[in-house]
Amino acid sequence: MKRIALLPVAAIVGLLFFQASQKPEAEKHPDLILFDAKMPANVKAVVEQKCYGCHNADSKNEKGKKKLDWDFFEAEKKSKQLATMSKINEVLTEGDMPPAKFLENRPEGKLSDEEKEILMDWSAGKKKKGE
Amino acid sequence: MKAWHYIILAIVLIILAIQLVPVDLPPVEHDNPGDLLGSGIVDGEVADLLQTACYNCHSNTTQYPWYSHVAPVSWLVAKDVRVGREEVNFSTWADYELMDQLAILDDIYSNVEEAHMPLPIYVTMHAEADLDNAQRQKIVDWAEATMDILAEEY
Repeated sequence: MKRIALLPVAAIVGLLFFQASQKPEAEKHPDLILFDAKMPANVKAVVEQKCYGCHNADSKNEKGKKKLDWDFFEAEKKSKQLATMSKINEVLTEGDMPPAKFLENRPEGKLSDEEKEILMDWSAGKKKKGE
Repeated sequence: MKAWHYIILAIVLIILAIQLVPVDLPPVEHDNPGDLLGSGIVDGEVADLLQTACYNCHSNTTQYPWYSHVAPVSWLVAKDVRVGREEVNFSTWADYELMDQLAILDDIYSNVEEAHMPLPIYVTMHAEADLDNAQRQKIVDWAEATMDILAEEY
């Protein structure tokens, strides 16, 4: 008797957990979350090591901060993130980042071939894959 | 002849001589099937604003005034149009990848909002291309809204 009475209670409790863990994410920009999931850990690692020093919210490099702020990137809309990725891809293609002047004093800041490829692949988005 | 006669004569000769330097004004092409204006993402007032404020440099439909054929002005015009079309050419809008279209719209947003565009030197000669704050806001709002619409296709 007791066990049978417990079953619906357990089911309801279980349901509450299910709701609680699903709801907040699903209600908040479903697009954005789906999209964020696509920024892989290896990309983040390169960004943190080679880009974040200038491109962050507290950067003293005003120009760099204004062009791209990684602290802000993931909170941006999908449209803005895609636009930024396209610009990153162009800058890397042209070999303009990190700036030559910056590398004069800090040659260790240069992107290795592998790192560059990681960033290029990611920032190209669906471009190369042809959808 | 006095000294200043020689100076004026020299200036005139120099101006005549520089007309002989060949200039490559980027060519005008009126048949542009991939133009932004026909893409369905812009119409009405914003389309008109883009055409009057941007299209002389950022499209294949440049309208060259007579003085743009006279050196040294022609050199400046040729360079601005060439660089302008390289940066973004609205006549070939359909050829850009979706992500690059988004990047262009984002650049339109910031350059128009911060009044980097149209170029101040261009506006001094083309008052009709100048944008007031309300017009800038219309373009900025359009750019942002269009980015969101295009991003949905991604």
